[in-house]
Amino acid sequence: MPKLTIDGREIEVEAGTTIIQAADQLGIEIPRFCYHERLAIAGNCRMCLVEVEKMPKPVASCAMPVGEGMVVKTNTPVIKKARQNVMEFLLVNHPLDCPICDQGGECDLQDQAMAYGSDRSRCQEGKRAVPDKDYGPLVQTWMTRCIQCTRCVRFISEIAGTPVLGGLGRGEHMEITRYVNSAISSELSGNLIDLCPVGALTNKPASYTYRSWELKKTESIDAMDALGASIRIDTRGNEVIRVLPRINEDVNEEWLSDRSRFAIDGLKRQRLDRPYVRRDGKLQPASWAEAFAAIAAKVKSAGSKIAAIAGDQADAEAMVALKDLVESLGSTSLDCRQDGAALDPKVRASYLFNSTAAGIEQADALLLIGTNPRKEAPVLNARIRKRWQKGGFKVARIGHKSDLTYKYEHLGDQASILKDIADGKHPFFEVLKAAAKPALIIGQGALSREDGAVLLGLARKLADATGMVVEGWNGFNVLQTAAARVGGLDLGFVPGAGGKDTAGIVAGAAKGEIEVVFLLGADEIDMSGLGKAFVVYQGSHGDAGAHRADVVLPGAAYTEKSATFVNLEGRAQQTRLAAFPPGEAKEDWRVVRALSEALGKPLPYDSLKSVRERLVKANPVFAAIGEVKAAAWGSFGTEGAVTDKALVSHIDNFYMTDPISRASKTMAECTAAFGGGCGCNHKKTGTHG
Amino acid sequence: MSFFDRTARAFLLTELVQGLALTLRYMFKPAVTINYPYEKGPLSPRFRGEHALRRYANGEERCIACKLCEAICPAQAITIEPEPRPDGSRRARRYDLDMTKCIYCGLCQEACPVDAIVEGPNFEYATETRAELMYNKAKLLANGDRWEAELAFRIAADAPYR
Amino acid sequence: MVDLLAGLLPPFLWRLIVIVVQIVAIVLPLLIAVAYLTYAERKVIGAMQLRKGPNVVGPLGLLQPMADGLKLFVKETVLPTSANRVVFVGAPMLTFFLALVAWAVIPFDKGWVLADINVGILYLFAISSLGVYGIIMAGWASNSKYAFLGGLRSAAQMVSYEVSIGFILISVLLCVGSLNLSDVVLAQKKMWFFIPHLPIFVLFVISGLAETNRAPFDLPEAEAELVAGYNVEYSAMTFALFFLGEYANMLMMGAMTSILFLGGWLPPFDIAPFNLVPGILWFILKICLVMFVFLWVRATFPRYRYDQLMRLGWKVFLPFSLFWLVLTASVLTAFGWLPNQG
Repeated sequence: MPKLTIDGREIEVEAGTTIIQAADQLGIEIPRFCYHERLAIAGNCRMCLVEVEKMPKPVASCAMPVGEGMVVKTNTPVIKKARQNVMEFLLVNHPLDCPICDQGGECDLQDQAMAYGSDRSRCQEGKRAVPDKDYGPLVQTWMTRCIQCTRCVRFISEIAGTPVLGGLGRGEHMEITRYVNSAISSELSGNLIDLCPVGALTNKPASYTYRSWELKKTESIDAMDALGASIRIDTRGNEVIRVLPRINEDVNEEWLSDRSRFAIDGLKRQRLDRPYVRRDGKLQPASWAEAFAAIAAKVKSAGSKIAAIAGDQADAEAMVALKDLVESLGSTSLDCRQDGAALDPKVRASYLFNSTAAGIEQADALLLIGTNPRKEAPVLNARIRKRWQKGGFKVARIGHKSDLTYKYEHLGDQASILKDIADGKHPFFEVLKAAAKPALIIGQGALSREDGAVLLGLARKLADATGMVVEGWNGFNVLQTAAARVGGLDLGFVPGAGGKDTAGIVAGAAKGEIEVVFLLGADEIDMSGLGKAFVVYQGSHGDAGAHRADVVLPGAAYTEKSATFVNLEGRAQQTRLAAFPPGEAKEDWRVVRALSEALGKPLPYDSLKSVRERLVKANPVFAAIGEVKAAAWGSFGTEGAVTDKALVSHIDNFYMTDPISRASKTMAECTAAFGGGCGCNHKKTGTHG
Repeated sequence: MSFFDRTARAFLLTELVQGLALTLRYMFKPAVTINYPYEKGPLSPRFRGEHALRRYANGEERCIACKLCEAICPAQAITIEPEPRPDGSRRARRYDLDMTKCIYCGLCQEACPVDAIVEGPNFEYATETRAELMYNKAKLLANGDRWEAELAFRIAADAPYR
Repeated sequence: MVDLLAGLLPPFLWRLIVIVVQIVAIVLPLLIAVAYLTYAERKVIGAMQLRKGPNVVGPLGLLQPMADGLKLFVKETVLPTSANRVVFVGAPMLTFFLALVAWAVIPFDKGWVLADINVGILYLFAISSLGVYGIIMAGWASNSKYAFLGGLRSAAQMVSYEVSIGFILISVLLCVGSLNLSDVVLAQKKMWFFIPHLPIFVLFVISGLAETNRAPFDLPEAEAELVAGYNVEYSAMTFALFFLGEYANMLMMGAMTSILFLGGWLPPFDIAPFNLVPGILWFILKICLVMFVFLWVRATFPRYRYDQLMRLGWKVFLPFSLFWLVLTASVLTAFGWLPNQG
């Protein structure tokens, strides 16, 4: 471990560390543009020059590994002058359009020009202009502002794994551009905006609508997919302007998928802002009291012939309230698995991503079963790619063949292959067996088939047989796609004794065995199969559920409430209210609580605190916010024959998976531009249902 | 001796008489005030009166909705909503100025990078209702059109001192 | 014609009509004078502060008082909810009434007096003392702390200065030997009293300022601390009555000063061009002179502090006027100059 001195302070760092990293550890600020901790080192902006004793010239600290006994100085007159001159060069061609630049106010170049630059330029010549490129509907380019740091090039090729950007030309004529004339079809392209240190790449949907200083920042959790990335919601007034990722090394590092980032314009469209009651075959605006009265009248006659289905973005508070309400009415027909996935609520390890998102980086062999992680959890896919880039990582896939941004062995798309591997008859069994930390990821595409339980059983068998579950390592991973799913399973929003599951509820409704169905944001079930049942839809958007409903109760979207979601690793996380729900819409658990009063079965909690106490009583997982506890291994899944249908991913169109993204104009533009995303061919848009 | 002096002065009210003499003298001096609505005093090119939004010579509005004036306004009198125009330029969809909040500090015109918002020489814009003092973009642009010659002159006159 | 009318009407009715006409003949010019006193005040103070004063309404702003009067007349009279309504409305009426009624005994020229009673000075003194009641009533009835404080201050101030005014009057009366105001004027045929009585003349003018609540003794109104003192709750006509009463009192004080010290209607020199001018013009001129001094003082001096005002009244004016009374009496007795002897 070499020891060096920076500005008179000694530090011992690992060999191979660069000077800028050592300085960061000491908290000594060195300005930089091209250097980024998660990207390869380029060393082309020259802003990070430092003086090292016995070296004749200043050196770029980002590219200079530390050496034993190095004496580094970052605040000498030479360095001050060097920074000033580098800044002057960078500004030679940078336009003075900060007032109209969306980056203005949060721009690295602006800040560092203020801190390290000179107050005048000696350049009298005209500035260069570069034609803008079309990077698709998400990323706006202002190539004239580009300072050629190449962070975007490195991100798109290293992290996103879709190498479509590069630099052309030399010197003043260098331009960042695409290799082929196509938009950036990465599902992580929004991160380019965050990475760009200037305003060359900006947020296209939010273009010219905000200035960074007028936004209210709320730290929250994403609910657009099951990963539950840490996000910061920026609002102005009551309008969500943009969503940015927060650094959370355990979950999303500092990346965010495009759907999570850009689907927010869906929060303003198709919103349910007041209760509706169906009269004369048409949904008509009503007051809360009228809506509750209509439900109460129906529930009274239905007795215990009622059921509830929770959707993919339902929060745990609302689900536990609805569960308690339905159970108090004498029914046990509850389900949070609207796609009918064969997830076993009794064994927690059977529905979690047990290795954890960060833990996948330790795996050395991976089998993907009926899943496309690039579409189902792009940020998680970037982690798998990160692991793959380190080498010594064998990946195989059973399912549809598509580009996952890393190389894998395609074993075919028949479920029988899984049986072969589980039985040890397939060569990949040996690969897994030989691996120190083998892992598998089974997706909803496999579990929501009719033989999902069998496939789950096979996967468990494979896990047991290849030593995936040992002390300190559990490589059995279920890739959830719904933010609500793990929470719903954890709190027991599943059929109780004698209760029906989703398929049973739909069938029962068709037959008249179920007279009242509560849909808590559930839009993905077969609405036409609900027969004559009285449907109460509670949710934020006028989607499939609201169209079928007899009573619509307006709820809050994930940005509009403080709610608990459990992510696919089993990590309970809480969102925060960033904007208020529109119109008369309320937090969902409050709606359920008010409804319980109208039904004469008041729920025993009146505050968020007491609902959360109830949650903790249902499952102690909800007490440990932000933490993951290893789940106990057990026996789950069934044995039986597998059908010979091809295994496909659960998600067709990455850009439209839920009511919010379906209402989003930006996501519609993306669908039009990229199809379903990820370079796959798709015939239909939207999800099943 | 000073005691007598002081007492004599006190009893003869010398100080009061001096004061009265002063005011009497002033009474016969010409008035310094001017007959306002008919006569007006000179205004500095830096006088900060009614606001105006200026245009370029080609008729294009200068304001680019950068919101710097909104950010710096100590009275929070300015509200701007930017929007991208079809031609791709950044413009204000809404530029509202609450003249009842404004404290006429001139920071908005100092902050403006394109000399769009300026405080002009006009101070005679009293209205009969408060609502008329809620200026919108159209009103401010109309002000700019009306006062442009004067505004341009003032900026040019003040330019050497900036 | 007049005799014919007198013959037609019963004598008492005729007398009544004559008195009413006389009253109108006094009150109407008086009210106009009050109006133009406010105009003069604004013009004079304006000139002293190098301003123009009102100059927009009418030529040279001469119609300004009419415009102000019209404004006050058409405005709404606000009655505070917590005020005692009867007293609240009665107070300005009382003030206005007392301000006018004092003029009954003022001789404008030889024999030009409505009621030539032989206790004229006593009557004037009594009426001006009553004036404080209007203010106290207003201050109390407004049910407002500012008005109440203003009323209290005003009462204390007027009472304080009346004492020294009383002694000054006695000093003058000793030289006249009569309480009749016409007699007081005629007693100054040889020499106006302000020459022998110069110190108490000054004292009288200053006390007059205090008595009429004028600057620098306008503490009851004190805009800075009491917003407007006792009349803070008054608006429109009720305020106008106070206003008129106050300025009529100023004119009254001017008339008293003229009669007591400046020889009333007498010309300054009883020689050709001066004694040809009617006496009433001299009288008006003298009142104008005193009024100018009032305005001049207002333009010159800042307001007194309350304790200074009280100290001046009780510790300076009262002993000095008492001393002057004794001095006057002693001199008159010693030199045998007492009037009406034997």
